[in-house]
Amino acid sequence: MKLEVRNVRKSFAGKEVLHGINFQVESGTALGLLGRNGAGKTTTMRIIMDVFKADSGEILLDGKPFEPSKQRIGYMPEERGLYPKRIVLEQMIYLARLRGMSKTEAEKSSKKWLQRLEVEEYANRKLETLSKGNQQKVQLAATLVSEPDIVILDEPFSGLDPVNSQILKDVVRELIEEGRLVIFSSHQMSYVEEFCEDIVVINHGNVVLNGSLKDIKKEYGKNRITVSFDDYTVEKSKAVIQEKFGDFVAITGEKKEEVILELQEGKTKSDVMEAMLKEHLSIATFGNYAPSLNEIFVMKAGDE
Amino acid sequence: MKKFLLVLGFELKEYMRNKAFVITTLVIALLGGAVLFLPSLMDMSEYLPVPSKNGETKVEEETEEEVTLDYYICDENQLIPESLITEIFGEGTYQYVEEDKIKEAIETEEIKAGFVIRSLDEMDYYVLNKGMMDMESQMMESALVTAGQIDYCKKHNLEYEELSSVYNKEITVNEEILGKDTESNFWYCYAFEILVFMMIVLYGQMIATSVTTEKSNRSIEVLVTSTTPTSLLFGKVIAGAIASVMQVGIVLVCILGSYQLNREAWGGSLDMIFNIPAEVLVTFGFFGLGGFLFYAFLHGAMGALVSKTEDISKAISGLMLVIMVVYMLSLTQLSNVDGIIIKVLSFLPVSSYSAMFARIAMGSVSMVEVIISGVILIVSIIGAGWIGALIYRMGTLRYGNPIKITNLLKEMKNDK
Repeated sequence: MKLEVRNVRKSFAGKEVLHGINFQVESGTALGLLGRNGAGKTTTMRIIMDVFKADSGEILLDGKPFEPSKQRIGYMPEERGLYPKRIVLEQMIYLARLRGMSKTEAEKSSKKWLQRLEVEEYANRKLETLSKGNQQKVQLAATLVSEPDIVILDEPFSGLDPVNSQILKDVVRELIEEGRLVIFSSHQMSYVEEFCEDIVVINHGNVVLNGSLKDIKKEYGKNRITVSFDDYTVEKSKAVIQEKFGDFVAITGEKKEEVILELQEGKTKSDVMEAMLKEHLSIATFGNYAPSLNEIFVMKAGDE
Repeated sequence: MKKFLLVLGFELKEYMRNKAFVITTLVIALLGGAVLFLPSLMDMSEYLPVPSKNGETKVEEETEEEVTLDYYICDENQLIPESLITEIFGEGTYQYVEEDKIKEAIETEEIKAGFVIRSLDEMDYYVLNKGMMDMESQMMESALVTAGQIDYCKKHNLEYEELSSVYNKEITVNEEILGKDTESNFWYCYAFEILVFMMIVLYGQMIATSVTTEKSNRSIEVLVTSTTPTSLLFGKVIAGAIASVMQVGIVLVCILGSYQLNREAWGGSLDMIFNIPAEVLVTFGFFGLGGFLFYAFLHGAMGALVSKTEDISKAISGLMLVIMVVYMLSLTQLSNVDGIIIKVLSFLPVSSYSAMFARIAMGSVSMVEVIISGVILIVSIIGAGWIGALIYRMGTLRYGNPIKITNLLKEMKNDK
């Protein structure tokens, strides 16, 4: 199953907020939709779910127009919302049946997901009596209750403590392993790095980065190295590099005790290593620079 | 259809579980029913127009009321015989005085009113504050008319009593109503008009609230991505309508049933309200409930325009204005059920619930007119539901200030 978002544009009150969004995601993989607040992630998800109509562009599933009502989709909106005054199990069964399950299936699946998310003891309680974290877990259970093939989660980790985040991480991992198509947005880059093979970074309604996370990291680490010296502070290391190796590398940043360097044109890592050894410097670490997703995100979306 | 039934069942269950809703229904039904049992349980003949419990006809005890001097009369030419004045105003309630004493006595509130008889064709009437039900002037006028007639008879050598008996001859009327008796149908027709009006106003607001609540608790986004807005709105509105009709129905059954059981004890004195013919109930069932459903959908749509329950009254104010105008027009036209205004109203979906019902209950209406009005109403209910669902869908995720209906209609047009 392949879901494609093609050149989607959307305006509100005459102002275009999405300027041609493109990406695709396949079953058995997770796509991380990243962007700053107001970048257009939620609007993109709502257009996929047909909550909003796109001004132009198309959403395709296996090459055909995507109709959410004809698919089993689990959608957890950013604005969490269930019935606060209704019994948890009752509303889960209701939502499962609305999405096409029989009463028996719905009941069985509701109990399964409540148990999986460790909130089965609240099945017969009113939602409003649960803590915020548990309400969040019930919301996720309600999203997955119809055993969806496509799962769309908008900021699923917000409001969860580390223990509940771990449960959610395990669940998302299982969904991917079971071959479901997962799209989720998050501000917590570490979660995205853990699950997502592909990422899309949206900034001001434009896709500024799109592709395999591995390739992106490789591309952003290309021609960059990190170095640290024994008994040298980062400042001292930087001063030494500036003074003695300016022909080989340019300093681009620092990461903890290491200095991030970019190779000058025509120079190789071996050239740098050789030059440093000639200066009898005690090298503590020397290696390829692997940027974190957070760093890439700040580079691409941190323009203000 | 399956999803509509699911929404309907889910929403209906909410009403049935609502303790306030259930308790209110039971309390009103039981109280209403119990009150109508009272004449069977105790002697109420002293307070109500019902037969006494032991079967004896209550004889009104003549109580000696204190006679007070209320009127001053100045009749210098003795134009009205005193016996006539006594007959009309009562012994000891009046006194003949000079004209100049009257005004002062009224201003000091010594007496209620005063009369100066100028001739058989003219009199002056004095009173401090004239009340809505002030009858004194008319009473003296009738005395003057009678005095004039007596005077005429005297002058023309005629026998007043004989002429009077000819003019005021008692007629025996054998009445057989072949059509409808407006007089006897008026009261339950009036009661039903008020009942439907109350249902529309009270339960309409309840339905609008149930729709707005889904926006305020943010469950609407999950719902509109799980099923169609039509299923959601129809399910919610019809569930609200069923709950309302059940509540009103239970209360009505209790009251009407109680009355039927105790009708003899009441001596049939409430027949004009509670002894309703079956065909009137059927008509009310169709047009009354049809009109209620029409407005229920419109209330549901208005509920989707706002995201906070406190904004509902603002959103439904336009609708309320229409309801009030229809209500006022219908009530004022009840005494003229074959007039052109009520005829027009009986075909409009906003007013047929009351106008056509009134025409059927009290006026002349052909079956063709009833069918045409019924079809218009059914089509309008479906139309209101369809437009309501569109508004519901367009209003999804519009939070903040209430959405103007004109802006929404423009957007709906642009989306097509």
